[in-house]
Amino acid sequence: MSKILVVADHKDGEVRKPTLELLSHTRGAGLSTDALLIGQNVKGLADTLAGHGAGTVYVADDASLQYFSADTYAAAVADAAAKAQATQIWISVSETGKALGPTVAGRMDAAFVGDAQGLEIEGDNVTVLRPAMATKVMQKVRFAKAGVKVITVRSGAFDVQPADAKPANVVALPAPNSNGRVVVKSLEQEESGEIDLGDANIVVSVGRGVKGPDGVELVRPLAKRLGAGFGASRAVVDSGWMPYNAQVGQTGRVVTPDVYFAIGVSGAIQHLAGMSGSKLIVAVNKDPDAPIFSVADYGIVGDLFKVVPLLIEEVGKVKK
Amino acid sequence: MNILVPVKSVIDVELNIRVRDGRVVEDGMNYVLNKWDENAVEAALVLKESQGGEVTVVTVGPDRSGEALRKTLAMGADKAVHVNDPATEGSDAHGFAKILAKVAARGAYDLIITGKQAQDTDMGGTGPLLAAMLDLPLVAGVIAIEPQGAGKLGIRRLGQFGTEVIELALPALITASDSLNEPRLASLRGIMQAKKKPMEVLKVADLGLSAGDVGSAGARIQVVEYLPPPARSAGKKFEGDEAETTAQVMNLLTNEAKIFA
Ligand SMILES: Cc1cc2nc3c(=O)[nH]c(=O)nc-3n(C[C@H](O)[C@H](O)[C@H](O)COP(=O)(O)OP(=O)(O)OC[C@H]3O[C@@H](n4cnc5c(N)ncnc54)[C@H](O)[C@@H]3O)c2cc1C
Ligand SMILES: Nc1ncnc2c1ncn2[C@@H]1O[C@H](COP(=O)(O)O)[C@@H](O)[C@H]1O
Repeated sequence: MSKILVVADHKDGEVRKPTLELLSHTRGAGLSTDALLIGQNVKGLADTLAGHGAGTVYVADDASLQYFSADTYAAAVADAAAKAQATQIWISVSETGKALGPTVAGRMDAAFVGDAQGLEIEGDNVTVLRPAMATKVMQKVRFAKAGVKVITVRSGAFDVQPADAKPANVVALPAPNSNGRVVVKSLEQEESGEIDLGDANIVVSVGRGVKGPDGVELVRPLAKRLGAGFGASRAVVDSGWMPYNAQVGQTGRVVTPDVYFAIGVSGAIQHLAGMSGSKLIVAVNKDPDAPIFSVADYGIVGDLFKVVPLLIEEVGKVKK
Repeated sequence: MNILVPVKSVIDVELNIRVRDGRVVEDGMNYVLNKWDENAVEAALVLKESQGGEVTVVTVGPDRSGEALRKTLAMGADKAVHVNDPATEGSDAHGFAKILAKVAARGAYDLIITGKQAQDTDMGGTGPLLAAMLDLPLVAGVIAIEPQGAGKLGIRRLGQFGTEVIELALPALITASDSLNEPRLASLRGIMQAKKKPMEVLKVADLGLSAGDVGSAGARIQVVEYLPPPARSAGKKFEGDEAETTAQVMNLLTNEAKIFA
């Protein structure tokens, strides 16, 4: 039988949706699951995890864990996994998860598969469906050897089932030994709009077509009015017009909202890799041959500087 | 500062990729140096230029991978190691990391820089696995590097919640993001010089590994099937007067997609 350890993702004192997706899935499938919280002042989230089905919640809560560092966080995961006798470790995909997953696998001498978009579980056999080659192919991956499996899972793979918090069975973990080799001095908190891209039902992204910071500010109110997350292409991020963590794409965030607006984005494969899983794609681009139109459900061939103000006005009429 | 940069020759993902009978159709495929590895090489060269030392590149792969190595030598790397052994075929990230760990152990490197991920696997596993095997501190997804003297680097990492400002003690392993730098193009002179630079070719046995440790035999994960991605086709495209086209799309969003419902 499998025993799953879900590493919880949290932000601003709340458990993030990708974690609830993972727990909802294991609960629905009746899989024995524990959870792990790592950070500073995170104990309070244990009851939420328990409500969503975590049998035991391991908690590594310490000032030294305020910021992510692959080495210390992986040590906490290895500790919890050993105590839980986990056969699988599930981590949601983010810049934290992407670094943590293989580091944990390396430390535990376990197998690693990243970026799962679907999981088939039979006993302790797992088949992973994942994109590769800039999402131009899907791979079905199997584990070839016995042993612990570490899997990072993309958000949107499963639905969240609502659940009330309940008192958790908490096991406190000691703070991992930080050997001082990686010292996170600070986190430059980049505001990237009010709504986290990963949690947003609608995402509006800007590309180089916005021409500069003024163009970004022209589009921002559209995101606001739609209650959308506000993202960007790499060209925009590299130009310094938007923060790094707004980048959508193969090296940036992968988003799967109900609606994705691409404004002045050409649609390079590396960008498509981060958003082609959106349910509906709307593109505004003045070039009728821009590759973004080959994936867009609704496309406007036109000048974004004219279209966006019109869109804002129209959205204002239907969304008060 | 002596730096080791593992690089990979990968399928050019800019090309059309076809899947037939659960496999990627290989004919017509072109192989290129993994983009993120270009960033890794560039970072190593910049560090060498300011700190001195040597840049060694290494690849594990068949004959065609030699071309990727030559490209990095032409960019300015000093020497190359090519682990060219049929036994490595079918390796997963774990297998590659195991081989790279043996190569790393043959030298004294202050820093190892891998790409953030390889374009063919999109896995991002090899670097962190290698760091763990060598017990090196890891920072993945680096967007800026600043030497700080005394065996330390100032690093900026693209983190989940913003840019992490990090002090990293060497020796260490970092993985290069594509936002780290703009890789240089090889000059004609560089291309000529590359031909004279040392390239060592090794078998896994030379590294003290046996065939069962690597390749499909040693792999912990196995791609059993390739499938085409979920189909996504072009929808409705409107051209002409912006007021009209915008109104048409708003109408569809409201009445067809019902996103405001
Ligand atoms: C290894 C690697 C990883 C990468 N990872 C990512 C990633 O994660 N995310 C990412 O986004 N990119 C990534 N890239 C970069 C990617 O290849 C593209 O360069 C980038 O996405 C282009 O951004 P863009 O569409 O904003 O700019 P451009 O390609 O310059 O497109 C701008 C578009 O705006 C349109 N336009 C201009 N003016 C107007 C106007 N007035 N009205 C309407 N439209 C207008 C133009 O027609 C054009 O289509 C990566 C590249 C590499 C090599
Ligand atoms: N066969 C290989 N030879 C040398 N380096 C590799 C190999 N495979 C992966 N790497 C390195 O590991 C990085 C990440 O690869 P991956 O884990 O496949 O995403 C690459 O960018 C390379 O730096």
